Amino acid sequence: MFSINPPLDPARHSPRKRGEKPGGCGMTVLFKPDLDESGLAETLANLPTRRDEHWKWSDLRRAANDVEGVGTLVVSGVDGDNLVPEDGARIDLTTLASAGASAADVTLTVKAGRSVTMVERHAAEAGSLGNVHVKIEIEAGARLDRIIVMPDTSESVFIASSEIVLGEGATLNQTALDFGGKLNRCETHVTHPGAQTHVRLDGVYLLKSGRHADQTSIVRHTGPGGTLSQLTKGAVMSGGQGVFRGKIIVERAAQKTDARMTHRGLLLGDRAEIDAKPELEIYADDVQCAHGNALGAMDDEALFYMRQRGIPKLKARALLIESFLAEPLDGIADEGLRAELLALLRSRLESVS
Amino acid sequence: MLEISDLHVSVGEDAKPILKGLSLSVPAGEVHAIMGPNGSGKSTLSYALTGRDGYEATGEIRFDGEDITDMAPEERAAKGLFLSFQYPVEIPGVPTLTFLKEALNAQRRTRGEDEMSAPDFIKYVRERAAKLNVSTDMLKRPVNVGFSGGEKKRLEILQALVLEPRFLILDETDSGLDIDALKVVSDGVNALRSPDRGMLVITHYQRLLDHITPDRVHVMADGRIVASGGPELARELEAEGYDKYVRAA
Repeated sequence: MFSINPPLDPARHSPRKRGEKPGGCGMTVLFKPDLDESGLAETLANLPTRRDEHWKWSDLRRAANDVEGVGTLVVSGVDGDNLVPEDGARIDLTTLASAGASAADVTLTVKAGRSVTMVERHAAEAGSLGNVHVKIEIEAGARLDRIIVMPDTSESVFIASSEIVLGEGATLNQTALDFGGKLNRCETHVTHPGAQTHVRLDGVYLLKSGRHADQTSIVRHTGPGGTLSQLTKGAVMSGGQGVFRGKIIVERAAQKTDARMTHRGLLLGDRAEIDAKPELEIYADDVQCAHGNALGAMDDEALFYMRQRGIPKLKARALLIESFLAEPLDGIADEGLRAELLALLRSRLESVS
Repeated sequence: MLEISDLHVSVGEDAKPILKGLSLSVPAGEVHAIMGPNGSGKSTLSYALTGRDGYEATGEIRFDGEDITDMAPEERAAKGLFLSFQYPVEIPGVPTLTFLKEALNAQRRTRGEDEMSAPDFIKYVRERAAKLNVSTDMLKRPVNVGFSGGEKKRLEILQALVLEPRFLILDETDSGLDIDALKVVSDGVNALRSPDRGMLVITHYQRLLDHITPDRVHVMADGRIVASGGPELARELEAEGYDKYVRAA
């Protein structure tokens, strides 16, 4: 077992707290998988709103205001919800949230020295409010490559939350792709008490009108010598909203931490919105930490250059957006998966531009 | 081939007039040079001719007898108008070879021609790249990203060799080139001279015209052509400067 100091506060089944204290990283609390009709009204009434710092740009109560009844969240592709895969295994986990409120828990343990790939594809029906919560432990020297594809509909609210703990020398390589929902939130909490851990947390979002995607992460370094590389890129069209919240906490014991976080957003219309809040909290003195956050518009020079060479405007725009957004996908280790996500991105670009 | 008459272009939020009634005619097979001091409107002319947003023109631009004044940039490109940029643009994430293929096949589609297959295209580009000392490595890198000034200009000319435009506009093509690179680039341009192709060479200095000999030289000042002559006019400007033309304008 690891000693975690301070202990991760799972807080999952306790009431949410208003106004987190500095350094806090309260885990998303929505509701239990065993939610029933009797507790539904209270649960929905207590969903976080924009007045909660952690949900400032993703008003969950408002987005879920038309959710009625208890739904089901079906998890398939895995046997049971407590996974302990063999070395080299690939897990294809798919979920489907039906109309109504529903939740599911999955626990994954990557045993010491093993290397595992998990691909999560989430889907949701209209009128659903789904929360898949994944607890992951990556033991000493183990590696997890994780892909998350969020639901892609305008009428669903979906939260994919995860708590990940890494042992000594463990590696996490995560990439999330999100085309948005009525409200989608991919929330990742990482703690690495073990020394010399390597974490890559990348994300891509591409949002058309009426879509909302929130990529939130909190990485708490509690052991020494860990590295974190985080790259999130998003493009938002008029009427869409992207949210990036990234927090890195480096505790006193986590000397020699090297953490880098970059978020870059492309605003593709007058009414496109991107809200970003990168945060660093550093209590150790011998660390390297950097964060960058930049929002911009389409590069008119590049667009004209391509059109002057004969590439039609829409195609030129799609190529430029693709070249901008594809960068985080480069971190996907498996070539086939990388090509698959790039193809998803490309086909979406063809349909929106 | 290219007929410009009474071209007016205003630029920027305050709609500042830059071109003020410019007229010029370049017949097929000829190379014309436009020389002028900084701020005379040379780059504005190249953008107006190629249809850049924000450089909308009044007056008339005719290309092969057709009025192209209001055409989109990609339509003009497909008709064969090519601009070699003074500052070629970096496009991160788009490999040069991919870019060239997209451009060539987009033009072909617009003209109703068949696209070139991938193997044919690779061979086609490699032959042309060799002439300009453009390495395979450069073709794999993103367009202009991390290229030196000379590499960027060589890539501009490579694009012209690949796209085989009917008319070239070279905007300050010699800027950023050392003597060796200038020779490679001008050899590339000279190889493109042909009886059915026209060229407009826009330059501040006479240096480039030692390598690409123009048929006609025009002096531009304050948004108009104020003098025209043979190649000797370029040497006169080099010796005496633009002062007398600027004062007259």
